[in-house]
Amino acid sequence: MSSPRLDRELKKGSAELLILSLVEDQPRHGYDIGQLIELRSRGVLRFNVASLYPLLYRLEKRGWIRGRWVEKAGQRRRRYYRLTSAGRKVLATQRDGWQEFVGAINRITGIAHA
Amino acid sequence: MPDFKEAIRKQLAKLRLPPTRESEIVEELSQHLEDQYEQSLSRGASEEDAYQGTLRGLAENDLLARELNRVERRVVQEPVPLGNEKANLLTDLGQDLRYGVRMLAKNPGFTFVAVLALALGIGANSAIFSVVNTVLLQPLPYKNPEQLVMAWEENSKQGFPHDTPAAANYVDWRDQNHVFAAMAAMTDISFNLTGMGDPERIDGLRVSASLFPMLGVQPQSGRAFRSEEDRPGANHVVMMSYGLWQRRFGGDPAIVGKPINLNGESFTVVGVMPREFQFPTRNYQPWVPIAFDSKEAGNRGSHYLEVIARIKSGTTLPQAQAEMTTIATRLEQQYPATNTSIGAVLTPLHEHVVGNIKPALLVLLGAVAFVLLIACANVANLLLARAAVRQKEIALRLALGASRARLIRQFLTESVLLACLGGGVGLLLSLSGLDVLKRFIPPNISQAQAIEIDARVLIFTVLMSLTTGLIFGIAPALQAAHFNLNDTLKEGGRDSAAGNRGNRIRGLLVISEVAISFILLVGAGLLINSFLHLRNVDPGFRAENVLTMKIVLPEARYPDKGRRSVFYDALIRRVENLPGVTSAAVVTDVPLTNSGNSVGVSIEGRADPAPDRIPIVITRMISSRYFKVMSIPLLKGRELNEGDKAESQPVAVISETTARLFWPAEDPLGKRIRVGSGPNNSNPWLLIVGVVKDVRQYELGVEPKPQMYLPHAQNEFFYPCALVVRTNVNPLSLAEAVRRTVWEIDKDQPVSDISSMEEVVSESVARQRFSMLLLGVFASLALILAAVGIYGVMSYTVAQRTREIGIRMALGAQRGDVLRLTVGQGLRLVSVGVLIGLAAAFVLTRVMASLLFGVSPTDLTTFITISVVLISVAALASYLPALRATKVDPMFALRYQ
Repeated sequence: MSSPRLDRELKKGSAELLILSLVEDQPRHGYDIGQLIELRSRGVLRFNVASLYPLLYRLEKRGWIRGRWVEKAGQRRRRYYRLTSAGRKVLATQRDGWQEFVGAINRITGIAHA
Repeated sequence: MPDFKEAIRKQLAKLRLPPTRESEIVEELSQHLEDQYEQSLSRGASEEDAYQGTLRGLAENDLLARELNRVERRVVQEPVPLGNEKANLLTDLGQDLRYGVRMLAKNPGFTFVAVLALALGIGANSAIFSVVNTVLLQPLPYKNPEQLVMAWEENSKQGFPHDTPAAANYVDWRDQNHVFAAMAAMTDISFNLTGMGDPERIDGLRVSASLFPMLGVQPQSGRAFRSEEDRPGANHVVMMSYGLWQRRFGGDPAIVGKPINLNGESFTVVGVMPREFQFPTRNYQPWVPIAFDSKEAGNRGSHYLEVIARIKSGTTLPQAQAEMTTIATRLEQQYPATNTSIGAVLTPLHEHVVGNIKPALLVLLGAVAFVLLIACANVANLLLARAAVRQKEIALRLALGASRARLIRQFLTESVLLACLGGGVGLLLSLSGLDVLKRFIPPNISQAQAIEIDARVLIFTVLMSLTTGLIFGIAPALQAAHFNLNDTLKEGGRDSAAGNRGNRIRGLLVISEVAISFILLVGAGLLINSFLHLRNVDPGFRAENVLTMKIVLPEARYPDKGRRSVFYDALIRRVENLPGVTSAAVVTDVPLTNSGNSVGVSIEGRADPAPDRIPIVITRMISSRYFKVMSIPLLKGRELNEGDKAESQPVAVISETTARLFWPAEDPLGKRIRVGSGPNNSNPWLLIVGVVKDVRQYELGVEPKPQMYLPHAQNEFFYPCALVVRTNVNPLSLAEAVRRTVWEIDKDQPVSDISSMEEVVSESVARQRFSMLLLGVFASLALILAAVGIYGVMSYTVAQRTREIGIRMALGAQRGDVLRLTVGQGLRLVSVGVLIGLAAAFVLTRVMASLLFGVSPTDLTTFITISVVLISVAALASYLPALRATKVDPMFALRYQ
């Protein structure tokens, strides 16, 4: 992930899938989502404010996720995003598509390296 | 913790997001950045590094703005950013209206007061306009009504500028003119309708056969008169109104061709007029042909006809008038004995029909317009006060980029919305007010019962509401637009230039409210004064406890004075025997009923004057005890009594004015006078045996003219038609007993117009009462609205000055000082208003001159009284808020901001 340009292009392709996956099981707020992506990619993928939130808003606008302000005792209110039923279907197809894509890439690159 | 919000806002600025959306994003992103910053710190970064690192993520290549722009720009706009140049007029209007409705709903108290004030103002206008519309503006319901004119004899020398023409003059006008398509004569006639049910007295008209074709109205069944029926012998035909047909004949579909009994003679019904037809008013029910005989057609001495004509198309009123003048001049030369100084004058029929109510209606229309102006001023005041409260909102909008023009539009939309609400409620008010109004409209006003809220009144109301909204909305809107943004955004920017400006506008509004209500109050005061003067006029008789009714003996059954006398004597004897009756008498006409006779007279021993100088005397034929019944005081000589029989010395009793005018330096008793003039006059000389006090015979407001009373037994010309009864109980309680007495003598004799003399007097001033009551109501309304307005402004001013008052009190000012300060401020405004009102009223009340009686339009007492009333009310209205000011706790006031 040396070139920022490549970084952005790759992220764009995969980011939607990443976010949808992360809110599949439980609602999460933006910082949480950003942290998880960084953590689970072991620092390879990193979103900052400027790239993460426009994405979240776009997904929300498409109706795939839904943000809600949640207040908890003694805490600032935070916006939690959860997967909608429309989002769930999208996630399923994107997952399949991604696996096909990765499989294809692997086959090509694997053959090339073989 | 550093604040990231400002940095985020800077990134978002160029997106021009809706404020609520922007603040959400700022909140969410700043939390993220704060979390990130703390994490950096916890990983050991210095504060500066953590801060810079965090910001870097935000500001990278403008990424946030670009990405967000793609996501957010398709967001549906929230309806706040007024002043968006691209938005179109209609969307804005809808937006403004919605916003306006929300604002009104949020302030129910304000809305209620404003709508009420407007509803009163607009409702009063709609109601009066609906009267004006029907009575003055609607064309008369005849064909081409603008061509119809009334033709009068012009005899100004004797005081009759519009005199009813004599038959021979009418015939000459009709036959000699080239300017009229048709001409018709008519005169009142009353009928005793008998033969089925109770006998009944009904008013009808004798009319020329040409009348109905000239008006252009067809009977709904049957036909109009034929010209051959307009002659003696062929004239026993009758047309009847829809009302009479329904009421008396049950709408008998076969009525045409049937005979009915009028005045003891049989008339064949030839036609029934449509329901809406009335001519000249609804009171006239049957019409019969006028059918002059040769004697009547040649008479130039009795003036009793009403003549109506239709001007030919293409001929103008002045041309027709010129022709009539030519004809009249010719007749004057031809018949000097009768026609000297008698001209001819035309007036449009419409003017004749509406003439006497027009000035009153126009004054009332002006009055309600004034009331509405005051209501406008009040609402403007309320809006101004509210605009002050809304400063924050206005500031916000201006800050968000709304243009001032756009704000003015928004404010005007709100005020017009308010006005339309007021107009709606006002229309409802006027609907219910109209029924009350109709009850006060003098019954002789044509079309009075047809008054209604029609399309024209609706349009008038809508236009008025819109205009009203603009009028009272302008000041607050302008004030809002001249509002200084910086001052308001600064804390405590209360005493800003805009505030002073608002105070100035408020002051002007109070001044104009006071001035306008002053004019109205003076107008009402003058009318009330006139009315009191009128009611205080001594009519010359005592109206209390007198019962009157009409009993007209038909000539067919009572052809001579002998037979009539028998009836009258029997009637008077029997009625005087009824319990509760002290005396009874008959008379040709009861005073103040607008009917009666006058005769030209000559005085023994004096040469006959020129024909146009013959003295005219109002003449009443009476039975003995008439003066007693009416309580007309005898000044000299004796009353007429039972001894004045047909065969005894013919006598007369004259009024004091007659005595003064005819025998200024002599005793009239023993002098002789006779009806008519000229060498061939064969009427007997009448010996004057008594002088009584003057009676106002026709109108309370008109100085008495010469009058005389003759014994009915000695005279043939006119015969009594009215019974007057003095009672010692409520006169109306005897009505039934008296009527039964009449029917005991003659079961076919109708009795009509039963009323107490007090009702007769009261009815005779119905028109004056109408104007007085309405103007009184409107003026009171104006006073109340003005008082509310002053109270509102003073309350507001006091509230604004709470701090100042607190300081003054803290420094030792007494209650009295504070009261003087605030009341003084109110009174200064009021005094200016009163001064302006004085000047304006001085000029404006002149238009009311024709409505006044016994007071001059600039009556000093009225002006002073009204000034005092108005200033007192105004003082009270500013005293109450001032009182509140003195209760201010200085500590609270100093903290208050």
